Amino acid sequence: MSDIEKGFEKAVKTAKVDLPGDEHVRLYQQLGIFANWLEPLLAVDTTGIEPIILGHNSVNVLREDFAHKGVMAELQEAAPEFDEGFYLVPPIIE
Amino acid sequence: MDLRNLSVCQAAEDIHNGEYTAHDLIEKTLENGSLLNESLNIFIHQAGVDALEQAKAIDLRIEKGEKLPLAGIPVAVKDDICYGVLPTTFGSGGFSDFYSPYTATAVERLMEAGAIVVGKTNLDNMSLGSSTTSSPKGATINPWDNSRAAGSAGAVAVITGAAMVALESDSGGALRQGASSCGVAGLRPTGGLVSRHGLNLHSSSFGQIGVTALTGKNIDAVIQVIAGYDQYDASTLISKDESILEVEPVAIENLKIGFPQSLIEGLEPEFKAICQETINLFKEQGFEISDISLKMLPEALRAYYVIAQAEASSNHARFDGIRFGSASEADNLEELYLKSRSNILGREGRQRSIYGTYLLNKGNFDLYYRQALKVWNLVRREFGLALTGCELLLMPVVKNLPPLLSEGKDLISSWEEDIFCAPVSLSGLPALSFPAGMIGELPAGLQLVGPPFSEKTLTTVSDIVVRNKQLFPHGKA
Repeated sequence: MSDIEKGFEKAVKTAKVDLPGDEHVRLYQQLGIFANWLEPLLAVDTTGIEPIILGHNSVNVLREDFAHKGVMAELQEAAPEFDEGFYLVPPIIE
Repeated sequence: MDLRNLSVCQAAEDIHNGEYTAHDLIEKTLENGSLLNESLNIFIHQAGVDALEQAKAIDLRIEKGEKLPLAGIPVAVKDDICYGVLPTTFGSGGFSDFYSPYTATAVERLMEAGAIVVGKTNLDNMSLGSSTTSSPKGATINPWDNSRAAGSAGAVAVITGAAMVALESDSGGALRQGASSCGVAGLRPTGGLVSRHGLNLHSSSFGQIGVTALTGKNIDAVIQVIAGYDQYDASTLISKDESILEVEPVAIENLKIGFPQSLIEGLEPEFKAICQETINLFKEQGFEISDISLKMLPEALRAYYVIAQAEASSNHARFDGIRFGSASEADNLEELYLKSRSNILGREGRQRSIYGTYLLNKGNFDLYYRQALKVWNLVRREFGLALTGCELLLMPVVKNLPPLLSEGKDLISSWEEDIFCAPVSLSGLPALSFPAGMIGELPAGLQLVGPPFSEKTLTTVSDIVVRNKQLFPHGKA
């Protein structure tokens, strides 16, 4: 079995799709054509070029990093019961 | 009332002035849609009483003095965009009775502005294609030539008066190609300008929600409503405090437009002629046309199909009949997965899932996928460079007439049709397809591409062509 055939069979198994009729054969034959079609892409000199993962130049917007006491006191006040850092709730399993 | 001679702004103004009601406009639109749907196969689901009730509510709000920028405007929504009132099928037999629990942000914004959804338009199975021929409901028919596919049902809705505006998706060019085939304008906005929350994306990197309408001016009226930050979509670029309304169009006097002359050498004479006529018209307007170089389109197209298929295989992994989509009858769990996924994804989806998985396999990942991501970077640089010497680029949209319904194209030939559109998707830049001429009895479009957030300039310049060539089209239906 050639590398391309092994790769194809692995992809069919991983993709988990039922291929009706002659679709299995057709897709395998077509994959060879697809791979040939991709040759010009592989021939592009990409030395020193970074792969990009976003279609635009946006960056994460991070909130300002400053120390504060948080909202624990407010949360404790809102809870019906609170003890030693834990919320007390009714048991679910008897 | 002929919707094809009515602008979005004029209709909203008429309704505010009491010339007619939103109910009148929606009733007329629904009537047009019902008449044409049987012959052209535009809608998967049409709104009826719901839309009329919404129109009545809009009329009441206007009576009370509210100002709504899109009051009563009938909108068609492609069926890969969620709208909670009608079923959302994604063009798949595995979602034939699915009601989305929420509505896409872009649709919600239109409705808040007074627009009314009149139907969900036809599409290829899971939106994988640009001809609608793989829809379980059958292809949408081109109203100019009934033997050909329309490409986009939203464009047909607009050209025939079954809607004034259509919201559509565009990954590799479906929206722009459909607009070209039907003689309407279609905008793929800057990546991140319009929220994609509620769009069923097969390609996370390239899928966008865009707008189709008769003119650029109509598109502009819609974009101003739907653009902007959305807390449900982290890829929206504009922060909460900014608005598209604050973005000024560039001055169009002495505009410089770049045209890649070498690209059209291989085109049919009729397509070349349309390019030349448009260039001449732009020159008459005082615009400067310069020859620019876009050498990487063939490699860009290949990078698109590597990345898009890899992403489709990943994004569609959840459609298994258990988590999403209806379950097929099966004797065991493995068989249930296989059969359900096969039914949900359809022929094109099965192919993309397998090829996408193949491209991401160990051994192929670096060879194909990582290389495609690097080429994507080079393509973006090339478009950026092309725009350093001019304000806009003028490019073809398609190189052939829309396909005959009887025509079966092989895989590579059908992908090669995207040679002018998919590379623009990689650039992340806004692109507007506009009607530029006729080839026989069929309209053909060109596209203008601009820098990020140049939508207003694109719509203004494209309308110069439409106005000067008196190309306000009238679909024969």
